[in-house]
Order: sequence, then structure tokens, then C-alpha cells
Amino acid sequence: MKSQKQGTAPVGAVMVVGGGIAGVQAALDLADSGFYVYMVEKMPGIGGVMAQLDKTFPTNDCSMCILSPKLVECGRHLNIEILAPAMVTGISGEPGNFKVQVTQPARYIDMSKCIACGVCAQKCPKKVPDSFNQGLAKRKAAYVYYPQSVPLKYAIDAAECLYFKKGGKCKACEKFCPTGAVDFDQTDKSQEISVGAVILAPGFKPYDPSRYGAYHYAAYPNVVTSMEFERILSASGPFQGHLVRPSDHKEPSKIAWLQCVGSRDQNHCDHSYCSGVCCMYAIKEAVIAKEHSKAPLDAAIFFMDMRTHGKDFEKYYWRAEEEQGVRFIRSRVHSIDPVPGSDDLALRYLREDGALVTEVFDLVVLSVGLEVAPDVVELAQTLGLELDASQFTQTSSFAPVATSRPGIYVCGAFQGPKDIPQSVMEASASASAAGELLSAARFSLAKKKPEYPERDISQEAPRTGVFVCHCGINIAGVIDVEAVRDYAATLPTVEYVENNLFTCSQDTQEIIKERIKEHNLNRIVVASCTPKTHEPLFQETIKEAGLNKFLFELANIRDQGSWVHMHEPERATRRAKDQVRMAVAKVSLQQPLKEFELPITKAGLVIGGGAAGMEAALGLAGQGFKVHLLEKKEVLGGHARKLLNAWTGEPVLPYLEGIVQQVNDHPLIDVHLNSEVTAVTGFVGNFVSTIATGGKEIDVQHGAAIIASGGHSYKPQEYLYGQDERVLLSLEMDQALKEKSALVTGAKSAVFIQCVGSRIPERPYCSRVCCTHSVENALHLKEINPDMEVFILYRDLRTYALRENLYKEAREKGVIFVRFDPENGPQVAKLADGRLQVTVPDPILGLPLTLTPDVLSLASAIVVQGQEKLAQMFKVPLNNEGFFLEAHMKLRPVDFATEGVFVAGLAHYPKPIDEAIAQAKAAAARAAVVLSQDSIHAGGVVAQIDPEKCVGCQACVGVCPFGAIDYNAREDVCEVNQALCKGCGTCAANCPSECITLLGFSHKQIYTQIDEALKELSFSLDEAAGG
Amino acid sequence: MSDQEFEPKILGFFCNWCTYAGADLAGVSRLQYPSNIRVIRVMCSGTVSPHHVLKAFQKGADGVLIGGCHIGDCHYLRGNYMTIKRVRFLQDLLKFTGFEPGRLHLEWISAAEGPKFAQTVRDFTEKIRKMGPARLKSARAA
Amino acid sequence: MDKLRAKVRTLLSEGQVAGYLGYLIKDSHPLPHLFTPENLEEVDQAVVAPDNARYPLDKLLIPLAERYPEAAFAIQVRGCDERGLNELYKWGQLDPEKVVPVGVACTQEQADYCECPGPWASVVDYGEKCQPVAKSLRVEQVATLAEEDAFQEWLGAFKRCIKCYGCRDVCPMCFCKDCSLEHEDLMSTGQLPPDSIFQLVRAIHMAGRCIDCGLCEETCPAGIPLRVLYKKANALVKDLFDYETGSPTAGPSPWKMLGEEATLETKPM
Repeated sequence: MKSQKQGTAPVGAVMVVGGGIAGVQAALDLADSGFYVYMVEKMPGIGGVMAQLDKTFPTNDCSMCILSPKLVECGRHLNIEILAPAMVTGISGEPGNFKVQVTQPARYIDMSKCIACGVCAQKCPKKVPDSFNQGLAKRKAAYVYYPQSVPLKYAIDAAECLYFKKGGKCKACEKFCPTGAVDFDQTDKSQEISVGAVILAPGFKPYDPSRYGAYHYAAYPNVVTSMEFERILSASGPFQGHLVRPSDHKEPSKIAWLQCVGSRDQNHCDHSYCSGVCCMYAIKEAVIAKEHSKAPLDAAIFFMDMRTHGKDFEKYYWRAEEEQGVRFIRSRVHSIDPVPGSDDLALRYLREDGALVTEVFDLVVLSVGLEVAPDVVELAQTLGLELDASQFTQTSSFAPVATSRPGIYVCGAFQGPKDIPQSVMEASASASAAGELLSAARFSLAKKKPEYPERDISQEAPRTGVFVCHCGINIAGVIDVEAVRDYAATLPTVEYVENNLFTCSQDTQEIIKERIKEHNLNRIVVASCTPKTHEPLFQETIKEAGLNKFLFELANIRDQGSWVHMHEPERATRRAKDQVRMAVAKVSLQQPLKEFELPITKAGLVIGGGAAGMEAALGLAGQGFKVHLLEKKEVLGGHARKLLNAWTGEPVLPYLEGIVQQVNDHPLIDVHLNSEVTAVTGFVGNFVSTIATGGKEIDVQHGAAIIASGGHSYKPQEYLYGQDERVLLSLEMDQALKEKSALVTGAKSAVFIQCVGSRIPERPYCSRVCCTHSVENALHLKEINPDMEVFILYRDLRTYALRENLYKEAREKGVIFVRFDPENGPQVAKLADGRLQVTVPDPILGLPLTLTPDVLSLASAIVVQGQEKLAQMFKVPLNNEGFFLEAHMKLRPVDFATEGVFVAGLAHYPKPIDEAIAQAKAAAARAAVVLSQDSIHAGGVVAQIDPEKCVGCQACVGVCPFGAIDYNAREDVCEVNQALCKGCGTCAANCPSECITLLGFSHKQIYTQIDEALKELSFSLDEAAGG
Repeated sequence: MSDQEFEPKILGFFCNWCTYAGADLAGVSRLQYPSNIRVIRVMCSGTVSPHHVLKAFQKGADGVLIGGCHIGDCHYLRGNYMTIKRVRFLQDLLKFTGFEPGRLHLEWISAAEGPKFAQTVRDFTEKIRKMGPARLKSARAA
Repeated sequence: MDKLRAKVRTLLSEGQVAGYLGYLIKDSHPLPHLFTPENLEEVDQAVVAPDNARYPLDKLLIPLAERYPEAAFAIQVRGCDERGLNELYKWGQLDPEKVVPVGVACTQEQADYCECPGPWASVVDYGEKCQPVAKSLRVEQVATLAEEDAFQEWLGAFKRCIKCYGCRDVCPMCFCKDCSLEHEDLMSTGQLPPDSIFQLVRAIHMAGRCIDCGLCEETCPAGIPLRVLYKKANALVKDLFDYETGSPTAGPSPWKMLGEEATLETKPM
């Protein structure tokens, strides 16, 4: 890995190409752990495909809601520089020291001047199809990519702009822009950027289904892609979330989803692979569509194999079918035909019983697959990377984020088709890999926040300054801002007021600082836009003027004022005055909030010495952190010891021996064999865990912990397992293949039974690896003896993503696949003559199929046991099936809500070795974010308990989502650990005697705001009473 | 006081991450809604205690609208679990005592639901307008 | 009474408890009394207070337990008092390891008067179990009122309040040091009657906590039907969260935990 020349220090910066969720996660992990990040995004704003999605499976979370905070964080990060739109056009150098050529097309907007007021778009006369809305709506040639876009800056689409097309005419945007931000003289810019590593996260392109002639996507408006359907469902989409079909805006009552369009299909698209995500997103779309629909909606999904192999996916599928009544039809639809005299569509398909059926639908959604975009293929060529046959990045199972070129890493859908959590894991994993390469350069280029001396205001009475913004005409065009200013001057504590054309402009920041000094102000209110975007800016300003940044309040009189009461200027003005009065009253009660630092033990504890645990340990140690690696057994390796090959055919053992050696040799890793954790105290940055080794206990200090305690094979009671030596589990089959046992070399017939112990009511999940494993072993048997009869009895064949190629190969090589229904599954018996007999009803032929295999392999479930103790000690949750439950299924796949504790491998959910390694590296990256800091930052907006008033009732303890409150039995009071508190205030509202204060949002402040908000009303009431 | 003259006073408690952002989106999208509302931004809808709501009614609010993240979307994971418990309980208690439970409304509005935000405020304002001034207020004024 | 006294005597003489909180007749009044091993002979005068002379013994136990954290105490409990113990355990005010209940069954008259659904303790050391009263007619009667009438009824009652805080001071479940009813940011000060929300604030605190002993209502000089309000608050907690206030098997209070999933949905506008 460390191939840079000796003596030359690596560059402490990383380039992340692609600003989708994977790129964002990689950038945040790196920037948070001491590296400077250049984020190169080809669109004018970051967010990628996830920003376009409506909801996300399996939790139905709103996609934008969970993504947007991460985008904002990226946009504001001191150590992330977003270049958008921009493209990588060349690279030279070597790992640790690359020179990357980046081209930025002109935006024709001066980003430093644009205030995102939208006047340019309002005035722009040219309407063009809105690509963010998949062309279902129009935008202007002057536009913002989408309303929550980061950076929130407009751009001019030169390809559509009338000025460029008609040579010098129009310029309406330039004329009306209140800040003079439009700049038609801008030109494309090229620059060379020095970085130590490159992470590619360019994402995917949805397949264009026009090539499916029989589906007539291009011709029929009511045949839409799943991406278009996401926008149709979206509240911020072209129809504001009303479920209507494009042709006539009628609410559909019957919708069909057609799976595998552009996936598992060589005829139309040369995509032999499975896209891995479409089954789940189709179910989600069907469920959400049913929720949106006022009248009962008939939702039907036409599929080949239902692939719900992820965490909580199977249950989601069952609920969709049983509770929401989504119809699942196992059939590939032959064609879509118009229904004459209507906009409806007729589907022709072959039912499972062989009958050809025609059914009419209002709307048809094509579940389009994922493919690598041509410009990404070009990028790969520019960078000199090897791609696979389907143009995904060539990677090894054992180094899943390393490309063929050292120093360049890959994550997300360009690595192979995958869902969001997997992309996020790989993003963190690639951050870990870059972190290992550049460990020596950590904090060499990353900026640290400047510190400003703070004025002591403890002896001062509140002196508030109020700055009322015109925002050009955005506010002043509706609200009488002078009247608001004059009114503010009459309020208690207010010492100074003024109006600004743009309070957010750079020169006004200087003015605010001067006014603070001149008038000795100690509280500031700005009446302008929204704190969501502008509070940090003003807080920074008052900080520079020596005030604690919390002595600030923003009155939102634009986004929640002039823009929403445009036709009621007087009432809008009255509301603005009220909001200013509330803000002044609130800030007058505000005290400076302390932020403080707690030290960190720069060491990690990794629990579990399997592949995931070892990779996590190596990831942390590679980044320069001390690691304690714990293994219950007397040897490292875990279940991987029993595994023959990764699905790609790469043998596991040499890899495993390699990493065992590396772990044992690594000076920073302490291996504790035959050991377990018996007690844990402390919190993020400062844990103390007790490790018991053969009766002896020692305490180790660590700042972060990674749980990789692994899983087990379910030991079946059924199918003669344990009673007949010819009946093997998948891993035992691996062993037999490795040893070339006569059981397999001499076999003339072999049978695999899938879903043994998985996807059943007591274990309602898919074990994810078994289909691929069986297909792989079947191929192995065919290799030993091409004439061997090999049968795989399955429910849905789940060779997801690129694994589909194995399935294809197996079919080509004569492996016979027989599907069964769970209620009518295979029967296994031992015949009188000693032969094994497997019978299974063949659902296609309807006849029982009788097989007499020489060897029977059972794809048994992956289970976990005894994780409760660990969960309790680290205060982290388990799900119903006993797997560790991460902080967020989608965006925090290796984190827990409890900070400083992470999860990887089978303890989280069944997964193949490549994914376990990626998750382990991701956990290492996330832990490195903690360990690379000099201290834990705490304080600010956090809860505080008054010990004088607390009666120890512990109503707060159980309602804290983060386990940040403990009961101190000795003092009989509850205490907030401010290092863990996230400042939600749920405890404050729950305390019966209100002795908990959420600093910055105290009860007194809330009560005061209530008083002030309703003051005017009591006045009018008196008036009414008097009149 | 005739219906014509009655301008209801609505107090909104909106969580920073979802509903407040949804309100901003309504603004960015220039969706119009009545100006009767006054907004208190809170970090999580779980910060709103029944005391706060009762105080608002005591001080003359005609309607109280609480907005939070959809269940599952809470920025603080499960803070809004407490919101729904408190609001449902309080609504039922208000009903029993005749204190007009319809004047308290909880709506989950995401950061992406600008139109839903505007519609909710429109509908709620209209509903409260039809209900007339709060009984508590009339009783006090009497 | 012999059975009860024998039990108390054994507890005290064997040192299982440091004291027994019960009643003693003084000047022909039954008064709360702490019986101790030092004065074992007093146990002969230990009585069960008649129905109309009740004190919040649970409330008296709290400071006692606080002062002697290592000691265990026995305490005379009716059904309601025992519910109180169970809630106080949950709310961290008493330690179940340090409390031995001496159980009393209420008379039918008392149970009917209280509309009590559980008029006996889990262990009965005195009295016979009577018929519990499953439904509160008082609550049902109010529930049938039209909303406007209910409002006038309640507001009329609330306006009689003289803000003596008797309901709070007698309540065995009121253990806060800092009472919301005196919170000057929440409640207007220096006015009578108090804010109309005064009783509602208290009802919120009683929901899932009130053990329906009725002492508040008996104490209230203004005759506000507080018990009806709190009975309803508890019934709502039962309906919404399936939580049986005061039951030892009810699990954690819904007000003390987030819960693993949100089971309620928002009401339509």
C-alpha cells in the first residue's frame, strides 16, 4: 500500500470525485479526521441520485430529510472545498502525491455574490426541461439545481440561455439581479490540484429503457422509469407529491412495476448483472404509492426472483404483500400495448400456470437498472483504471475499495451496483484506505478553526443590536423593513438598530463587528432569511467581534415572512415585528454557552478476531492508532477459516493467513486470545473496558470500540442433517471440496437446498450469502465432474449484483434450478437401499420431482447468539433477530447512537466476506474520526440538570435517545454527560419539575417567546372588549 | 365579535430539522399561507412540553400547531416518540375537560414537504377561524 | 387486628425492619405513628385507621427512607397505598428492597365511595376483600357532557380554587422539590383564581402516576372534583399506552421511556 518514495512526505489532501451520498460520506470522514478534501461534482450542486429519491427503504425515511444535513455539513466544512460543476481531466504522479487536472465550466454566476434569492430565475424567459425532475417539470435557463442544493447558488445553463443562443440579447437576469452576481464574461477554468489520494464516487446512471422496443417507453407518456416515479411521489417533485400519471394528470388506480429492465438481460442491454436494488425500491414505491393514493390503489410487481436480501428487507416484502396488499406476480412481461381510446396500457404476460394473460393498467413503472455512465468510463480511462466486463471497477474481494491503480479508491455504484448503506460503508472504507496511505500527513493541510478571545459579559446588562435585512427586494418588496427597524428600537434591551441591503454580505459583516464595538452590544438579532442557512455565518461574525456565538438570534422574516405572505404586506410586516420581538426577548435571556474539550485515549478496542475484526484492527493500526484486538477462541480467523473461496473464486485461506500474520506482526496491535469483555465504563473518547483472559482481568483504556463479534451457521434439525454424513452445510461442503473428499469427487448427483432456516417466521430474514455460495459450489462440482447432475432447489435465487454472472454461468454449465414454495418444500428421506431421496414439487411442471443425490448441501441460515451482554455493556441496541442495530439503517450503517461504538461483519447482518471487509474498514474510518481528534468537543446546546432541584426520579434517563443521562445513586440526582448529549431537549420537556434546561432553548426562553408571540393578541382582545 | 373580524392567533412549535426546514421550503417555493402564525423554533418536537402548550392557550393562543419529523426521520432518532405520546394524551385530556382539543394539532412535516407545510397552515388557520375565539379566552374576557 | 399486630411484632423483634409506619390512637384520634423495636409494647395499640381517617403514609415514608437509607421499613398499605409504593419504586423515590408492606383490605363502603378498582393490598393482613368497582360513574357522567357543558362545568370548578396547594401537599405522588404549580414562568402569580390551566398542569403530572387515593379531593376546600380528573387521566394512559398505573407488572411508565416503536398516530386535523 505504501508505495510512495521514501523521504517524500505524502500530501495531506484527498480528491473525492462525485458528490452523491458516497462521495459526501467519504469527504466528511476524511475532513473530520484531519485531511483537506476537494470534492469534484459534475452537476452544479452535490446530492446525487439520493437527493432525487422520495423515500428510502426499508424505513420509508424521507430521502432529502436525512441527506440534507450531511450536504449542509459538507458545504460548511472548513476542510471540504466543493468544486461544482467540475470534471477531472487528467492525472499524474504517484500514490501520496498526485497532480490532478480539474476543469470547471463557467457558471456565469459569481458564487460569492449570489444570495440565492431566485430573481434571475423569475425573470429568465427561457423554460427548459428540469433534469432534476427527470424532465417531468420545467425550470428556467437561470436556475438552482434543486431547492436544497449545496452550494445554494444559481447557475446559468449556457446551452439554453437566450443570451448565448441569440448572441448578446436578453440578459434579464443580469439586469434584475440585486447583487450583480450575474457575470456573462466568466470562462471555463482549469487547474491542477495536488492530492495524496483520489476517491472515486461517481455513482451510476439509470438505464435508459428506450431500447426495449416492446415497452414503448419513449412513445407512451404513462410508461415511466422508476426514477421518474420517485419524482412523481416526491413532495418537492413536479406534482407536489400528488400521485398522478403524466399524460392526463389523472390519479391512477392500477399501477404495474416491471422488474429487471436493463438488468439480468443481455438481449436489450448487455447487462448480465442484477442491479441489486430494484426489487426493494419497487416494493417501496408500491407501498408509498398506496399511501399517497386516496382511492384504493392496485399495485402489482412483475418480477423474476424477489431479491430482498438486505437487513429488514424480507420483512418489508412480507408486510407489503400481507398488510399493504401489493400483488407480486412472478413473470417477465412480454409487451406493453396501448388501449385504444384511452391513455391506459395493456400488459401481456405469461402466468405461472402457463396461461397468457392481458391486464390493463393506468401507469407502468419500469424498474430500471444501474449502469456506469459513459463519462465515468471515460474518467476511468483517463485515470488508467481497469474495469470489468460490465464496466464497473475491477476490485478484489479482499480489498473491495482499491482500484487497479494504487492510491485511487472507489466506492458506491461504480464499484458495482449496490444500495445506499453499502455505498456509505464503502465510502467510509475508502476514507480509511486513503487515511492509511496518508497517515503521516494528517493535519498537514487541514485547517483548524481560528480562535478569538471572548469578551466577558457576565457583569453587563443585555444590550441588543438589531439588523433588519432588505434582501434587495426579497424582503423590502413586501415588508416595511424601516418600520420593523423602528419598532425594534422600542423594544427592551435594544440599544442599536439598522437596515442593511444585504445583511449577509461581506461588508455588512464588518459593519456588524464595528457596531458591536461602538455600541458595546452584547446580543445580536438579525431579521432576514433562515437560521438553517445563515445562522453559522452571523455566529462567526459576532465571534470575531469577541462575543460568544450563542448570543445571537435570527428572526426569519423572508422564508417564513415576505415570501409566504406576498400579497399581505401589512400583515407580513406585523408578523415580522412579532418575530423580531420574540427574537429580542429570547436573546436577551441568553447567556454565553461554554464549549469545552475532553481528552481522548487514542486507542481502539476491537471485539472479535475474525476477518472483520482483523481488518478493522489493521485499518485503525494502519492509521497510526493503538489497537486491542479481542478473540474469544484460541486462534484468529473466525468463520473465514472454513470458507473456501470468495464468490469471485479468490481463495480465502492465503488471504486470511496474510492478515493474521500482519495482525500478529503489527507493533500497534495487542492481540488478546481466549478473551472477552466483562465490563465497560466511560464514554466516547474515554472508555475503560475490562478484558478477562483465562481468569485474569485487565483494564484497557480506549477512545472507541468496534464490535465484530461474528455469527454462526444455523444447525438444522431438518433434512437428516446430523443423521446422515452425506448431508452437509455449505461450509462443510467447502471443506469437502477443499479436501477433495470422495463424497464430492465420487458423486454423480448433488442437490442443494436453499433457505434452510432463513425467510421463515421465526427467522424473518434472508441470509444473503447462501444463494451465491451454493451456486459457486455447484460450479465447483461441475468443474470436478462436468457430467455430475447438480440441482439447486430454491425459493428466489438471490445472486444479487455482479453475482448474477455466476448464476448465468451455472445455468450455462447445466446446473438445474428448481423453484419451490415454502408451504410445499422439499422432502428428504433415506431409502431402504441406503440412498438419499429428495422430492420436491416442480411448480412449473406441477409434478413431483424425485432425486437421489449422492451428496446434499443445505444452505443454512446465519444466526447470532449471545450478543445481549455486549449490547448491554456498550449501551447499544439489538434488533428482534439479535443482530446489532445501527444508528441509522441508511446513512449510519456502522455507527451506533451511542457515540464511539461501531459495528462490522456478521454481528450486524449476514454478509459475504468482501462486504464484511468493507464494513470493517468503514468502522475503522469512523473510529478514526474519533481517535484523530485531540479532544472531544462538548457543550454548546446541551441539556443541564440543576442538582439542587433534581429529585432523582429518572424520567429523563429513559427518554434520552443517546443514553447521555445517568442516575447518580450516591447524590440521588441525574446527570447529563455533555459529551454524549446531542441537544434535542426531550429530557427537558420530560422533567416534571423542569429542572432540566436545554441551553439555548431554556424553558424560560420558550415561555417568554410564547408571551411575546401572543402579546399583540391580548391587545386586540382588549380592543374587541372595549369596542 | 363577528367571524369577519376574528383573526385567530396561531402559535407554531417547529422542529429545526424537518418542519422548520419544510416551512423554509414553502418560502423558497413562494407558497402562500395566512400570516396568523407565529413560529417558535425548537431543536426537536420532543422539546415541546405539555406545559408550553397549556401556557400558550392560557396566554390566548387560538391554535397551537406542533410540527416534527416523520416517525423514523427524527434527527435525534426517537425524540418525536415522546411528542406523539404527549400530544395524544393532552388532546384527550382537553377533550374530557371541554378545553377544545381541536385547537392543538400535531403534524409530521418533512424538510421536503413545503407544499404540505403551506397546506397544513392554511387548513389549520381556516379551521381555527371557523371555531372562533378560544373558549378559554372568551371565558376570561367575560 | 391480631394478625396484623403479630406480623408487625415479628418484623420489629426479628430486626427485619427498623420501624413500622402505621396508625396509633392518640386522644381518640388515629394518627400516623412510627413503631420501633425500642417501643415494641406500642404495637398492642397499632390499629388500622377507619375509612374516614386516612393519611398519606407513603409520603411520610419517603423522608424516612431518605434519612435512613440503609434501613428497611414496614408500612401499612391499602390498595391505593400499595399502588403508590409501586409507582414510587419506579420513580426512584423508594427502594422495594427496603419496604415491607403490611396489607389492608378496604370495606365495601370505602371501595364504593372511592370507586376503587383495587381496594386491597397484594397481601391482606387485615380485613376482608370486598367487591372492586371496575367503572367510575363519576367519570362516565362527565364524559357524557357536551364539550361546551364540560368546559363550563370544569371552568366553574377551577374558578373556585383558592390556590392553597392542599391537593399537592397531601399527594403521596408529589415528590418534586420544585413544583410546576409555583413556576412563575408557567403560572401567573398573585392572582385568584389561578390560571385556568392550573388544574390541567397538575392533571398532566398525575397521569400514569395518580394512585387514586382520593386524599386531594378530600383535602380540597373548594370541592373541586379532582379525583374525576385524575381518574380520567389514568384511564387515558391506560387506553393510549396500555399502562396500568400502580400495577407492579405494568412495566416502565410510558413517561419514562421512548419505547422501541411509535405505536400512536397523529390525529387528523
